Amino acid sequence: MIEVGSQAPDFELPDHLGRKVRLSTFRGKQHVMLLFYPLDFTPT
Amino acid sequence: MDSVFCHANWGQSIGGVSFPLLADFHPKGAMAESYGLYLKDKGITDRATVIIDAGGVVRHASSVGPGGERDISELAALCEKIDKEYSGDVSKPASGMGLADATLYVKDNCGFSRAALLARSNLHMDNVEVVNVSEKPAALETLKQKTGKEQAPALQIGDQVLLESADIISRMVEAKVGSLT
Repeated sequence: MIEVGSQAPDFELPDHLGRKVRLSTFRGKQHVMLLFYPLDFTPT
Repeated sequence: MDSVFCHANWGQSIGGVSFPLLADFHPKGAMAESYGLYLKDKGITDRATVIIDAGGVVRHASSVGPGGERDISELAALCEKIDKEYSGDVSKPASGMGLADATLYVKDNCGFSRAALLARSNLHMDNVEVVNVSEKPAALETLKQKTGKEQAPALQIGDQVLLESADIISRMVEAKVGSLT
């Protein structure tokens, strides 16, 4: 697992509405929470 | 870990979501891998939570295992703590910029109305006025004159009226994202 205190690796991925989301666009603007999960339709 | 198509389906089935569901599908799990959260032997992503501050630094990383369940209140408390401790710049959540004269019509006992209200609340769009047509039948009449339909939820922005909850939520998300970038 990624270490606390390290730089978060940047990524660009498509979202459910077809938009591209890039982590670095939030830099200096917002904190970001990433919720990883194995599959849709499973608990939170 | 699912494809964009499966995400879109799931997003609809839980009443629409007001945050992006990202597809780490192709190449499979590459982004999770870069966070050390791709379980190669199982071919799935761990159920994990990573919080990144506005400076791009990882402030929290934890896993409950693929079959586990997150403690949402614990994570909410963590978010507040990190936000408090962060000394750099963060944009103030703009309250509904781009939707200055918008009105959201909703009705009682309606999942689509609930989803639209939840999105408004999650996006901090307090300046989007809410009218409950179950309490104000006259508002429904006004809406009917504008759109020819007695349908709620509806989002009115000036002369434009959106009638599909997915469109309403997308429009609010767009306005929000637009106000941040």
